[in-house]
Amino acid sequence: MYIPSPSTFDPDTNGHFGIFGGRYVPETLMPALLELHDEYEKIRFSRDFWSEVDYYLKDYVGRPSPLYFAANISKELKARIYLKREDLNHTGAHKVNNVIAQGLMAKRLGKKKIIAETGAGQHGVATATICALLGLECEIFMGAKDVARQELNVFRMKLLGATVHAVESGSCTLKDAMNDAIRHWVTHARDTFYIIGTVAGPHPYPMMVRDFQAIIGWEARAQILEKENRLPDTVIACIGGGSNAIGMFQHFLDDKEVTCIGIEAGGLGVETEQHGASLLKGRPGVLHGQMSYLLQDPDGQILEAHSISAGLDYPGIGPEHAFHKENRSVAYDNITDSEALDAFVWLSQKEGIIPAFESAHAIAYLKKIDNIEGKLIIVNLSGRGDKDMIQAKEILHFN
Amino acid sequence: MKQLVAYITSGYPDIGFTTDLALALGESGVDQLELGVPFSDPVADGPVIEKANFRSLQNGFKFEDLLKVSKEVAPHVDTLWMGYFNLFYQYGMQRLLKEAANLHVKGMIIPDLPYEEAQSYSKDFNQYNVANIAFVAPTDSPKRIEHIVSDAKQFIYLVAYTGITGSGKHENLQAILRHIKSYSHTPVYVGFGVNANTAKEKAQGADGVIVGSAFVTILLDEHLSYTEKIKECTTLASSIKQKINE
Repeated sequence: MYIPSPSTFDPDTNGHFGIFGGRYVPETLMPALLELHDEYEKIRFSRDFWSEVDYYLKDYVGRPSPLYFAANISKELKARIYLKREDLNHTGAHKVNNVIAQGLMAKRLGKKKIIAETGAGQHGVATATICALLGLECEIFMGAKDVARQELNVFRMKLLGATVHAVESGSCTLKDAMNDAIRHWVTHARDTFYIIGTVAGPHPYPMMVRDFQAIIGWEARAQILEKENRLPDTVIACIGGGSNAIGMFQHFLDDKEVTCIGIEAGGLGVETEQHGASLLKGRPGVLHGQMSYLLQDPDGQILEAHSISAGLDYPGIGPEHAFHKENRSVAYDNITDSEALDAFVWLSQKEGIIPAFESAHAIAYLKKIDNIEGKLIIVNLSGRGDKDMIQAKEILHFN
Repeated sequence: MKQLVAYITSGYPDIGFTTDLALALGESGVDQLELGVPFSDPVADGPVIEKANFRSLQNGFKFEDLLKVSKEVAPHVDTLWMGYFNLFYQYGMQRLLKEAANLHVKGMIIPDLPYEEAQSYSKDFNQYNVANIAFVAPTDSPKRIEHIVSDAKQFIYLVAYTGITGSGKHENLQAILRHIKSYSHTPVYVGFGVNANTAKEKAQGADGVIVGSAFVTILLDEHLSYTEKIKECTTLASSIKQKINE
């Protein structure tokens, strides 16, 4: 059974990973965050809590997710490539791992009202699902632009009984959805639990969500050792806020022989202003309750991000990634919209697996690795592409 | 006499107007002025102030404009800067506080820099004798309040309800006011949702009120000329000042 273990990279008691992280929120929310911190300390290593999580992860989500040897692309690239199949989870992505645990925490805290922000809609669907399961009220905040490009997921959330708010302010994407979720939370601080979907936001969320997602790396490590009898050379994951990546990397960070690579959204190219590469092109700053790398103008006004994938379309990144960048414990690179789209088709036609646009960024990176020949690689296939069909159909044309 | 603090968003419609309005408010019963620094993501603010932030940025507001306005205004009206932490952090806290001290700006109101995070900067605030205004929220326990207000300067900002600025929410603050007063002699001003109708009631048991969205609603009114906007704001200021002291 998965129970988190203390990490070399745990933050301090106020949630700082070096200078990053922390709790930059209105005072009204501080008591709720301190309560959450105390509650999390109680259950972090509790067998009792984790057996409950384990039950749902096994019988409801379908864990462990397979580590699949992708023979066809391996042959083409002359490497040994494994895919961690988070796309096979119930609700179609890694998001559900985190949401089950947070939903159970909300119940323990006696909070029946749940709110969540969502970009691609995967976290919104996962949250709406768990609220249906656990009998909680659910309100989802989603940028109006994302509501339009992810209409299937919006319908799913509604079908599951959630209320969906289309947020019309700013760039009408994930950043603005998060602003409105925070506003709602400040207003209902006493009875509402905010299920944050990624390793971002104020402490303890980045640490908590990392622990909840680290089951990915925990399983993958055991699976690769069983199949190959050795650790991988490289582990690759895409990064928006960074939860699937940190979840995958967590159990490889202490192994010097493993290189972890996080892939940001290169959008139309990092030399343009249309991308989501916060680590490469941003600098440290404060947004949404945390200090991290942000895309911002010289004054500190937050810039709009761009990516073909709604899940990576965010001008910030989880604070632990900012720390790993400066600490050089993880390598970061980026993949453009068009490279991701090529990989989306490539994986579909070579392996019969349609990846989410987000995950396609990680897949695409396989073609950019120098000297890939003979290497043992794990790619985190964080989600499936069903949600992207409508958008893909507009762009791609087959005879 | 109970005090009136007025918040205005800088740079809307332009900084010349902000300066004229600030000076006029200073002559109409406003004791202290909060010059708001527009930010792209003002999460503690309701739709009115959010809109003013957005429009000011659209009109080209830059951080340097805050310094220009302050230079004109601070010698005449007690001035504080209200802004989200990222803008101040990007300017550099040492540089910012030095600049504030030079311009005679009395303090900073930073809604997303709670007590714990502010500790790293308390030496800098003290060095330049600029106050970092302490926030108390209705969700705070007496124990936390004791902590937060222990070193409060200028005034303590009591948030009137759990929520964002400019909402019609109401909470009874008498118990929390008593807690604050048992731990600190620093004056307590109540902010959030204070307007001509609510001012008297919100000022009960407090030493003053902070009014923001009510002024900014006038700033955003497209039907009013510059002169009319200033006139309406000063009338509102005098009326609130009178009501809280009745």
